[in-house]
Amino acid sequence: MNSKIQKDVSELLEAQVISKETALKIEGYYLSKNANTTNRLFTIFAVLGSMLVGLGMILILAHNWDSFSRTVKTVFAFAPLVVGQIIAGYSILKKKSKTWKEASGVFLFFAVGASMALVSQIYNLPGDLSHYLLTWIVLCLPLVYLLRSNTLVILQIVFITSYACHFGYFSGSKTPWLYLVLFACLMPFYFRLLKQKRTQHITTVLNWLVPLSVIIVIGTFVKGDGNISFLIYVLLFGLLYNVAKTPYFNNLKLRQNGFLVLGSLGTVYMLLLTTFDWLWNSVFIENPNFNSQSFFIASILFCLALTILVYTQVKKETQKFNLFQYAFVFFTIFFAISFFSAHTTIILINLLILILGIIVVKIGVDTLHFGVLNYGLLIITALITCRFFDTNISFVIRGLLFVAVGAGFFLTNYIMLKKRKTIKS
Amino acid sequence: MKTIHIFLIFTVVAAIQLVVPSLMIFNKETVLKKGAAYRFKTQPIDPSDPFRGKYITLNYEVSTYNTKDSLWQQNEDIYVYVGTDSLDFAQVDTISKVLIPNKHQDYIKAKVGWYSKYNNNLQIDFPFDRYYMEETKAYAAEVAVRDRQRDTIPNDTYALVFVKNGEAVLNDVIIDDMSIKDYVEQGSMK
Repeated sequence: MNSKIQKDVSELLEAQVISKETALKIEGYYLSKNANTTNRLFTIFAVLGSMLVGLGMILILAHNWDSFSRTVKTVFAFAPLVVGQIIAGYSILKKKSKTWKEASGVFLFFAVGASMALVSQIYNLPGDLSHYLLTWIVLCLPLVYLLRSNTLVILQIVFITSYACHFGYFSGSKTPWLYLVLFACLMPFYFRLLKQKRTQHITTVLNWLVPLSVIIVIGTFVKGDGNISFLIYVLLFGLLYNVAKTPYFNNLKLRQNGFLVLGSLGTVYMLLLTTFDWLWNSVFIENPNFNSQSFFIASILFCLALTILVYTQVKKETQKFNLFQYAFVFFTIFFAISFFSAHTTIILINLLILILGIIVVKIGVDTLHFGVLNYGLLIITALITCRFFDTNISFVIRGLLFVAVGAGFFLTNYIMLKKRKTIKS
Repeated sequence: MKTIHIFLIFTVVAAIQLVVPSLMIFNKETVLKKGAAYRFKTQPIDPSDPFRGKYITLNYEVSTYNTKDSLWQQNEDIYVYVGTDSLDFAQVDTISKVLIPNKHQDYIKAKVGWYSKYNNNLQIDFPFDRYYMEETKAYAAEVAVRDRQRDTIPNDTYALVFVKNGEAVLNDVIIDDMSIKDYVEQGSMK
């Protein structure tokens, strides 16, 4: 226990502010808290240790020892696997602590990979890293649930993302449909964490990792019509933002809500990108193919985002109207308008971003949140900066605009600082 | 769920984790023991894999097949029927999209790389294009073969591949009648 707390407690006891019983209770509370912190630290070090040992094992085997016979190599392939299985099995059977389960799970995960890698080396099995990763992932997927391991679920998400990237981006233009199955298999674990351990670090890590994985992989599903890819990304960010507004995420802190941050930033980025004239003139030259896989994916994303939007409205999770939640609906309408007039679409998207910026500034002012206020101002500044590239406004007006925005930044922050001080005093 | 049930499911998972690599080994051992040996003329280059280490990629002379049939799709499964030429090196006899009934000839299940309509060449992706080597030897192997080819002596670097029921296992890469591993070792000792 912290010596300062001990000193304070004895001081309070001497001054007869607290009774001896209360002093003992306080000491007991801090002692149990310290024990938890030590356990967590021990788990983290055990996991890191297993991960390093596992990775080291893979690297040592990757040396491809020529001097060993095929039989010796085969024994090496199975030895770490069997050791890992025995430790993991022992952890389950003897109901060992979380540290045991996490560490043995991670070690077994890498032992499976090492074993398969060595068999591939011995028999010179053909390339295809994605196939190798897929077998590895599938063989270790049940361990997530059997050992209830948080580290394994993180590893699985990283590996399924890596598999989908290899399959979809690097080895030809194939769609990694199995990514969806594997992703769905991991979701019950995530939902359980969201229900039971909403504010814990592991849930926060997954709140960032899950949307990041989807954002990275979604490009592999764009097939048949590249034009729709812009719409797909806007719909995906809209979906993420709306998920962030569901009861599971709504009251989380900003740093705990990856869905909200990524959804909001992604929406603004995509909207800004689609305000450029050249994009609609050079990329969207052909009419979209409504019979393509891209259109099918876009339709599913739209339906999903809309369902969640309706759900949040019915549940009244958000008290006030939030334009960010509807941005994907507006963009879809603007996208449809572009078939008739791309120019109108560009004007409408510009307006949408401007209104979004103003709304964010207003939210920042209302909640006295400097971060939100400046985010809103940044959206407006980014919009003005983008228009510098494709409009023929005179340099004087451009300069004046920038001065005005700069002054706006200063003034709004200053006014809010004063307002905050007044409220405090 | 009771601990014993979780443990039982874990035992099944562990068994599958053991069975998968064991089956891989068993299948490959069967081909090596009972399959027919073919010599594929080749040229190696050395890349690396993040998990499995250094290897040499083998480009085969017979991986280009001239055919007037132009209906080939990339990554499509094909059956490559192999025989031997007068020098006892492997050569492609026929390529088919389906197994040819009553054809008692060794075949390899491969994939279509691409088809060039310009010269009617079909590129075959054989399932034995990697030969894993000790990390210090892979690049040396590539250099050794390149130097060897600068000589006037014709290319006699070949891959020793065992074939059985469509499965193929690359057993060794031979250069100057010795394993490329020994060849590189000998070269470094000189």
